[in-house]
Amino acid sequence: MMTFAQASGNPHVIFSSSPAPSSSSLVSSIVKELPDAPVPTDGQSTAQQNQSPSQSQNQTQNPNQRPNQPQPGNAPTLGDLGFTPQQIMANADLQRKLNQRTHDLKVHQTLGLVTVVPLCATVIVAGGAKAKRNRADPTGPPIAPSAGAVDLHAALGASTAALYGFTAYYAIAAPKIPGVKPKGAIKLHRDLVWIHAPGMILTPILGGMALRQENNGEKVHGIASAHSYVAWTTVGAYGASIVAVSWPLHLKFWEKR
Amino acid sequence: MRSAIVLLLIALPLPVVAQNSQWVLVQSTLTWHITHPVHEVDGTSHDAKGKGNCSAAGCDFLIAVPLKTFDSGDSNRDLHMMQTVRGAQFPMVIVRTHLPQSALDAATIDTDLEIQFAGQTVHYDHVPLNRTAHGTDVEITGTVPATCSDFKIDRPSFLMVPIHNEIPVTVDATWRPM
Repeated sequence: MMTFAQASGNPHVIFSSSPAPSSSSLVSSIVKELPDAPVPTDGQSTAQQNQSPSQSQNQTQNPNQRPNQPQPGNAPTLGDLGFTPQQIMANADLQRKLNQRTHDLKVHQTLGLVTVVPLCATVIVAGGAKAKRNRADPTGPPIAPSAGAVDLHAALGASTAALYGFTAYYAIAAPKIPGVKPKGAIKLHRDLVWIHAPGMILTPILGGMALRQENNGEKVHGIASAHSYVAWTTVGAYGASIVAVSWPLHLKFWEKR
Repeated sequence: MRSAIVLLLIALPLPVVAQNSQWVLVQSTLTWHITHPVHEVDGTSHDAKGKGNCSAAGCDFLIAVPLKTFDSGDSNRDLHMMQTVRGAQFPMVIVRTHLPQSALDAATIDTDLEIQFAGQTVHYDHVPLNRTAHGTDVEITGTVPATCSDFKIDRPSFLMVPIHNEIPVTVDATWRPM
């Protein structure tokens, strides 16, 4: 597990930033030898802080931040650094888009995880929804599934498809940010759509065809016989999509930092 | 006697020149680090610009970096970071510090930083920065112990678990006298 010390490569700095008051005398003596921890202040001087510690948690809010404002003395300004106006100008419209995007993608994420529940349930009850070979009479006609099992499988499948549709809607509706190309784990997450989206449409269609054939006393045949294969491919792509967007997972989270 | 006067005239401006010096940031790596029970993520920018002006009153340094130049390797995460820290409204991280000239020669520089970020200005006192000379260039390394709460940032969450409050920013900046 990466620690702050490893991240910075500077154990001295990490020690200094550890706010760890302790009642142990040993620890106290060690702490006494360390330099003071860096502390955020509120723009007041240290003396002012000591006078009013309750203010030390406040920060200066500058909603109309003007980074180019002149500095006292010969202090350099942002204008001296050569940034373009586009780089330093606030863009309220972009912020609004980013906020809307985050909102939509949070709903997308929540609905996507909720969809996993009926998806798994549909797969679990799938076994009871298909005709089974009669073991007592292997040459005879297969045993038809109960209407209740078929209805349950169909209802769960329909719920999955509906929730999937809402999930997809929020991903599609989320504002696109100009000039940003998908990169990293999100790219695989998006590419997998080309597998599970057609699968999510095709699976119930094939399931309906298979059910109709069974109801007509026919053995499931033709493209309808691919129902379970398409379904499993869809489930696999959907699961991979969830893992991809969460990657890389830091699996040893139980290790003490 | 005349040569002594000439020598004196030549030597006198030297401390003045030394005092009124300028520094420019020639290379930098700034990295934020976030920690989540199942994620450890770094975002890095090499696009900071900086300048330092020194006079008898001391040295004033300014470093600024556009937020959108931080790259975590995932465009979705970078956009979420931009939203969370109000990066379109406040597109720059600006760091200022004032030091006495004598502090520039120390191996560890004790700095008081003023950081403008996410619409907040926060002071971090006594941040130790390590100084390494490479010829005329000076490399400064250290970590700013920033936290989400300092800048009033709503901590993003994954699987309904928010990231840790600490978002330390490691700094590796090489300065060159002008």
